Amino acid sequence: MAKFILRRLILMLLTMFIVSVAVFAITTAAPGNVARNVLGIQITPEQEASFLAQNGLDKPLVERYISWLLGTDWRASAQVGLTVRQITTEDGFTEWWAVAEDGLLTRWELVGEDLISRKLQPDGSLIEQKDNERWQIKDAQSEFTRLQANKVEVQNDPQLNEADRQAILKPLDQILDILQNAGNKDQATLLAELTGPESALRELRDEDAARQKQDFENAGSELASKNPLLQAIVVSHRLNSAEEFKQSDMQFMAGQLSRAAVKLRPVDPATADQIQKAYDSLKANDDESARAALEIATPTLVHLTGNLGALADGLQNGDYILATKVLNDLSDPAITPFDEAQMTVLPDILQSAGGALQESNSELGDAMIQAVASLEAGQLEEARNSLTDAAEVISAVGQVISRTDAAGRSLVGRSFWGIDLQNHAVRWETGTGKDVWVFIQGTGWKAYSGGPVEYIPLQKGLLRGDPGVSLRTGRPVADLLYIRLRNSLVLAGLAFVIVMPLALVLGVLAGLNEGKTSDRLLSIGGMMFSVTPEFATGIFLILIFAFWLDLVPGATVFGEKAPWSRPDMLILPVMTLTLIELGYVLRITRASMVEVMKAPYIRTAFLKGLPYRRIVLKHAIRNALMAPITIIMLHVNWLLGGIVVVEVIFGYPGLGSYLLESALFKDYNAIVAGSMVLVMVAVSTQLLADIIYTFINPRIRYS
Amino acid sequence: MAVADQNARLISRPPLLKRIWGSLSVLFASKIAVVGLVLVLFWVLVAIFAPLLTPYTPTEQDYKAQNSPPSAAHILGTDDLGRDLWSRLIYGARVVLVMLPINENFWLPIGTAIWGVLLSLIAGSTLGLIGGYLGGWRDETVMRLLDAMMAFPVILLYMIIIAAVGASATNVVLAIAIVGTPGIARLVRSLTLDIRTRDYVRAAEVRGENPFYIMFFEILPNARGPIIIDAMLRVGYAIFAMGTLGFLGLGLPPPSPDWGSMVAAGRRYILAGSPWAALWPSLAIASLVVGLNLLADGLREESTRYQ
Repeated sequence: MAKFILRRLILMLLTMFIVSVAVFAITTAAPGNVARNVLGIQITPEQEASFLAQNGLDKPLVERYISWLLGTDWRASAQVGLTVRQITTEDGFTEWWAVAEDGLLTRWELVGEDLISRKLQPDGSLIEQKDNERWQIKDAQSEFTRLQANKVEVQNDPQLNEADRQAILKPLDQILDILQNAGNKDQATLLAELTGPESALRELRDEDAARQKQDFENAGSELASKNPLLQAIVVSHRLNSAEEFKQSDMQFMAGQLSRAAVKLRPVDPATADQIQKAYDSLKANDDESARAALEIATPTLVHLTGNLGALADGLQNGDYILATKVLNDLSDPAITPFDEAQMTVLPDILQSAGGALQESNSELGDAMIQAVASLEAGQLEEARNSLTDAAEVISAVGQVISRTDAAGRSLVGRSFWGIDLQNHAVRWETGTGKDVWVFIQGTGWKAYSGGPVEYIPLQKGLLRGDPGVSLRTGRPVADLLYIRLRNSLVLAGLAFVIVMPLALVLGVLAGLNEGKTSDRLLSIGGMMFSVTPEFATGIFLILIFAFWLDLVPGATVFGEKAPWSRPDMLILPVMTLTLIELGYVLRITRASMVEVMKAPYIRTAFLKGLPYRRIVLKHAIRNALMAPITIIMLHVNWLLGGIVVVEVIFGYPGLGSYLLESALFKDYNAIVAGSMVLVMVAVSTQLLADIIYTFINPRIRYS
Repeated sequence: MAVADQNARLISRPPLLKRIWGSLSVLFASKIAVVGLVLVLFWVLVAIFAPLLTPYTPTEQDYKAQNSPPSAAHILGTDDLGRDLWSRLIYGARVVLVMLPINENFWLPIGTAIWGVLLSLIAGSTLGLIGGYLGGWRDETVMRLLDAMMAFPVILLYMIIIAAVGASATNVVLAIAIVGTPGIARLVRSLTLDIRTRDYVRAAEVRGENPFYIMFFEILPNARGPIIIDAMLRVGYAIFAMGTLGFLGLGLPPPSPDWGSMVAAGRRYILAGSPWAALWPSLAIASLVVGLNLLADGLREESTRYQ
């Protein structure tokens, strides 16, 4: 017996393992995009990549499975060099901290160039301080190569003025020298040697300029995306690039063109026609003719918009020479005559450009808006003066930005493995020269220059009781799963308590009256209820009891409360489940009863002259109920399906509806964890059924 | 002409007709089976002749009549977009029973539910035959895999498959086939274990036949009886499953007329006072599934009565 149970237990574990691999593989290898579901369809590819990296979704499948099963904290510990520990805050959030050398819990944050450590004191307060000593110089050899290339760039950068160039090149040469002779010097020596030239470079940087660069980029993309005519130019550029277009791309571009044709119609019908033609071609997935049509329209578009598309490009790509040139061209009567056609379109665009730029640089924005005002008042000369002013501002700001950029790129890159404030082990790097987009739950997107480049999302792993964090809510899956499971158990338990006695009694009655009208009614009625889909039964019950009779609520709304706080809302869900299960159990009991009543030992009992009641109660029922009880256990798989549907119909906050929401959202951690719970329930009831059956059936026990 | 030929053949072979009549008379002997047959035939006929039975297409919207109750213009009323419910209902029956839409311009005959069962029959029979006839490690592997699949709650399997591959008619067929496979494989395996001990299988082995020939041409045809009965019941399950998937938003994508998704959409307007959009498709799927089960039940009862 013990051997049998042990064998079944081992088989169950094996099944659970196969199931976990299967669920994990199917859900994670599936197409679809959880990043888009979480962050919206507007995200850029870089943002998507950052999101995937932060959640460990960019790793190979096997690595992710191991992380999910065994956790990642041990790997993070090895990288950070400190023990990593999970704590639970007073608000019920789980947080990961590193245990620093002084025994205090520590996390880090990158603010600008500075590494800030946050130490949790024994009294619960936080102490923040700069912790820049932890930076390690990246591989000196590769940094040397990078900086050499950078030197060439600085030498040839047209946006730098000569004084700045020299000011940067001097410390850069010193740094290159130090790196070349790095040899076997240890970190401390190297850092000490670098202090001098690096502080010279830092002085050349301007924090404001770095921020302004970002603002300019945003303003540029806003300008390009808001105006239909500028969008048409963007589409034209894109069609001329070497890109391969999918059908969805072309439909998207057609959408971008649609407003341009309408807008242009009163100003320049011929060009509007060309754009319309391009639109039609794109709709018909013919990018060649669209390209040809736009090629004809583009020069007119550029003229009408005063080449402001190039201004947007320049701002977006950090090409301030181009931006300055556009503004200077606008103030040149030979290039921009402000003729009638231009006047219908240009002031609007100039106005929105000014508006977009005003927040980042009020002087620049004001100058452009002033120019619009003068244009509309007919004072062309004043408008040109304002535009010249704007060009000067942008040229000056551009130089500061370029200097900051170049000086920043010339610093030696550092890196550091630590724990961030969002429960990741993170490798921070400086001097990569690239922006890193970071999504912070509750805050939104932030761009950092130099920042996190590699993440290990921290979790303990399923085997240690931590199924991870929900991508949808950012909260631990286990907490919500527990509440949802409890709610589902309340629902299923209530239904079970009602169904079992009712179905067994009715089943026995039907079985005793085999072939009579009462039996026919019960078994056909039971069959109809058990084969009707749960959602149809649920709808019928809602219509009858909530809609026509208006007796009970037709939906469940619990909010934060537990289901038993509103018993009236439980009536219809429980009733639906009861009806579905009732028919099934009833039919099984009936069949079993009919079979038992035909058995020889019952006939013997009759022949002995025992009273009918005694035969039924003492001899028949005990044997007849054996089959139903075990079969019902095996039926749990089917019942779970019913529970999912019932939960969805009534909006009941149970495990089933949680799983469905997660599946539709591709919230991997939640699906996998929820599935494992369901499978565990199903497999363990099957095991229980086997064991019960072995106990109550003497023929198996003694064989 | 082909029809005429066939008729001629039928007439020239009265025993076949007689056999058909014989099995039909079993059917008509049971009142339950007749009720079931009427329900099923009703839906099959309505599905086949759907375009002739309604002036509307299932996606035609009438903005002036949204969520309207039954009337002369719309005999069952309209849904929230003003689409005729009767027309959506009977076109929905088409998708279930007589056609499988692959894409916008192309569809296969025989309904979505039936394709699902057919595919699971093919996969399940193959696995069951391999496990049962070849035995050994192959049997062990197949059975362990099937055990793992059976351990999945059915609904979860559906959700994961559809969430993974996306909602479309083809994928619904795929999901129904995958979910149905283990059950059929177990049935076929147990039948195979019995049949492989028969003399004609021995004879084929002695002749030196290929194992696959023995599996598919000696064993499978002799196991067909129970398999066919099982498959008939599974069509009922498959329709049930299609409805449930549609209801959960995992079925055919809109705007195709799908009973389950019609209920899911109509459900929102019940408490706002227009129950029709949820009521009719619920009744439709209930009547079809109950009809199929009545038919199967009646048949089984009659055919086992004299044994």
